[in-house]
Amino acid sequence: MPRFKTIFSLISLLVVIGLVGACGDKNSAAKAEKKAAAATKSKNPDTYVHVTISDVDSLDPAWSYDTQSHMIIENIYDYLVTYKGGSVNDLEARISNKVPSQENGLLSEDGLTYTFPIRKGVKFHKGGEVTPNDVAYSLQRFMLFDRAGGPSSLLLEPITGLTTTRSKDGKPLDEAYTKVMAAVTVDGDYVVLKIHKPFSPILSILASWAPIISKEWAAAHNAWDGTKENWKKHNNPDKTAEGFHDQENGTGPFMLDRWDKKTKETVLARFDDYWRGPAKLKRAHIKSVDEFQTRKLMLAAGDADSIYADYLQQPLLKNLPGVELIDDLPRIDMNPAIFFVFKIETKGNPNVGSGKLDGKGIPANFFADINVRKGFASAFDYEGFIKDVNRGKGTRAQSFIPKGLFGYNADQAAYPYDIDAAEAFFKKAHGGVLWKKGFKFTLAYNAGNQPREVIANMIKRAVESINPKFQIDTRPIQWSTYLDLSNKSKLPMFILGWAPDYPDPHNFAFPYMHSDGNYPRLQRYKNAEADKLVTAAMTERDLEKRKAMYFRLQEIAYEDVPTLFVLNSVLYRTQRTWVKGYTYNPIHPDAPYSCPLYYLSKE
Amino acid sequence: MAKFILKRLAMLPLVLLGVTLLLFGLFNSLSPEMRASIYVKDPRQLAALDEVIRKYGLNDPFHKQYSRWIGEVLSGNLGYSETAKMPVTEAIAAFFPATIELSVMAFIPIMVLGVWLGTVSAVHRDKWIDHVSRFISITGYSLPSFVLGLLLLMVFYGMLGLFPPGRYSLASDLIIYGGNYQPYTGMVLVDSLLNGQPGVFVDALRHLVLPAASLTYITMALLVRITRSSMLEELGKDYVRTARAKGLPENIVVNVHARRNAWIPVITIASILFVQLLGGVLITETVFAYPGIGRWVAQAAVQLDIPGVMGVALLTSTLFVLGNLAADVCYALVDPRIRFQ
Repeated sequence: MPRFKTIFSLISLLVVIGLVGACGDKNSAAKAEKKAAAATKSKNPDTYVHVTISDVDSLDPAWSYDTQSHMIIENIYDYLVTYKGGSVNDLEARISNKVPSQENGLLSEDGLTYTFPIRKGVKFHKGGEVTPNDVAYSLQRFMLFDRAGGPSSLLLEPITGLTTTRSKDGKPLDEAYTKVMAAVTVDGDYVVLKIHKPFSPILSILASWAPIISKEWAAAHNAWDGTKENWKKHNNPDKTAEGFHDQENGTGPFMLDRWDKKTKETVLARFDDYWRGPAKLKRAHIKSVDEFQTRKLMLAAGDADSIYADYLQQPLLKNLPGVELIDDLPRIDMNPAIFFVFKIETKGNPNVGSGKLDGKGIPANFFADINVRKGFASAFDYEGFIKDVNRGKGTRAQSFIPKGLFGYNADQAAYPYDIDAAEAFFKKAHGGVLWKKGFKFTLAYNAGNQPREVIANMIKRAVESINPKFQIDTRPIQWSTYLDLSNKSKLPMFILGWAPDYPDPHNFAFPYMHSDGNYPRLQRYKNAEADKLVTAAMTERDLEKRKAMYFRLQEIAYEDVPTLFVLNSVLYRTQRTWVKGYTYNPIHPDAPYSCPLYYLSKE
Repeated sequence: MAKFILKRLAMLPLVLLGVTLLLFGLFNSLSPEMRASIYVKDPRQLAALDEVIRKYGLNDPFHKQYSRWIGEVLSGNLGYSETAKMPVTEAIAAFFPATIELSVMAFIPIMVLGVWLGTVSAVHRDKWIDHVSRFISITGYSLPSFVLGLLLLMVFYGMLGLFPPGRYSLASDLIIYGGNYQPYTGMVLVDSLLNGQPGVFVDALRHLVLPAASLTYITMALLVRITRSSMLEELGKDYVRTARAKGLPENIVVNVHARRNAWIPVITIASILFVQLLGGVLITETVFAYPGIGRWVAQAAVQLDIPGVMGVALLTSTLFVLGNLAADVCYALVDPRIRFQ
């Protein structure tokens, strides 16, 4: 019996080794994928399958403010104008016959009145043709819908000057209705838009927001009917209250076949009466699969035509037969960024230790001292982050305006990684007390975000190496808690980012530099000059003057160091080689993983 | 028996009240900002936090929020689940049939193989089959489910192309959503047969093989161990020795006498395992992209989707009460000495 046990134990061991080997042997795994990929041809030549990780939130264009929903909306609706090919600056006509400009006389001399000649013969998916009334209604509803945390203010603010349609106690304001209705009017075959102040990005906003919907269909599907009596009932409604949430009647190249919330799958079917001619694909399935290995196997087996994958996963996708990686696609975002809080809420806050500059904590004004901020700015290895975490992809960000966007200054000074300089700044900070006593605080990042985790640990290692009395605890925190703590200014430093709503420097200057902006509000940072410049640059029509203003704002960002900007990021797309017609435009929602499906085909 | 069952069922509302109070209390210990995070997913929406809190009454006192919620529940409205993107009742109706399908497909082999292996293992104690059975149990216990799932997927989908992930293929999708297919139960295996679509049935079965096999292997381990130890205990008792001494065939001794008496702990564990399966299996559903209740409730819990979590808590609590009740009934059926008292 003992002999049998020995033999059995050996066999068991071999089986376990075999199993582990099968899991771990990259060659056999790669061979399996290669075999699958090589043996598979496009199983469904008319159907495009994209497998991603997120799902749709709402299909209502006035509600949705997330890339996945927006990506579907972009394919089932048309906008007044749209981006031309891969350009973020050039626009082309869609429901408007022409892109308004002063040259064609559709933009007034003062830059306040835009006239849109409405295209004729454009059909809605469920019958009827687009009229100027539908177009005006689309813009009006987008602004008056104004759900809390939604995208309505993108148009509401530049058009009416109001940031919200409600009073402080949450009641709809009559003034909002009056201003919106006066701003968007119909004049024969034209829709006339009068804006509050000259604001050149308005057309860019209209290229991505407020697509054209049918007024008649909307009223029949629990949405606002266009009357003054009823608009308040449809202001800030519940998510599912109106038919647009999970139904549509757009004019885009695809119709919504179904949104299967259970399987997190959206299926689109070709609209054969599309005014630009039918799309090449008959159907498109956008699925959500959380597990990367499953997505990869689906791609290798030909069950997926493109998948979502990040840079950490890229080596696992290289050299798969029949699969191509379109790499080095520049993004227009500023992510990640590292924020300093100028006045930390120290009461009941374990992230600041003792709450004093005694070596066991930090005081509320710890980061109010510019030498502390400059010390941290000099202690971060920007290039090392790009090399090690981003696999050498992307470039060092100079400031808050991403590379490639108007106003970006390639010559803008930025703090280099210089430990000696960091030491010198820290020695000067807080009158030398900081260097003598040291400090301790918690640097948190949102759990699951690997690059932000690496940033936190890089800062910890570098700063702690300067003086043994410097202590930084790094800690992952769930998104909900992260939001709560950063909103209450209880995180001394936090790491977040910004993706644009439209490709204009104002969409970065305001959230990063204006004291009412998304981040300075949490940082309790205010620079009067910066506030003035952000507001003035928004309405400035002289491009050279405007550029100079943004250059100055970037100088202020360098001088004040409220935030560290890390990376001008790039991304890559993973798709089967049989997918044709892909054009990258960073402004498309969820680019480069998704794109306008109209141009795609499979061969 | 009916009185016993009714008595147990009468306890159900009290259990549910307790569970919901506990969960609601736990959620309410979090700040309104944290609970509002479900509606604020992007830094672009940070400025709207206060308005979100006001709109959903997240700053109201606990009793006010709870009574508002319970009032809605009593009127049949479990609220809207932000993670499922639909009302909670709809979400349960959507996800639960898929979970039932997977659970049943896994539970049948778990019971058959688990009880058989446990019995054989006990009867042939320290023989090779006992070692095999213990090896299966140990690896089933210790192998992380995502490793086993990915391994199965790599071999049987990546290499052999036999069993794809998901619930059905694009071809079946066209039939199911083609207009002439009625989703009677939400369970594809059942609905495909009721709709006279054997192709869809086979396709759905193919998609169920790997998640069911993965669950069987991992979940069966406990049952094998319990059956084995229970059988060993019974086989060592005097009545078994007497039965053997009077010349009864071994299969009668084992299968009729010993195993019947060994059923009690097996039933207890089996009922718990089945209810656990019905409560959802997060890792297996995630790896195999299977749209069950587990993935949903895990997301709901992480994202503080309170209506979603409360809805599933009501469901699983009910299932546990019913599972225990079913186990009690089974005890009496297998052992007449047990009475409903």
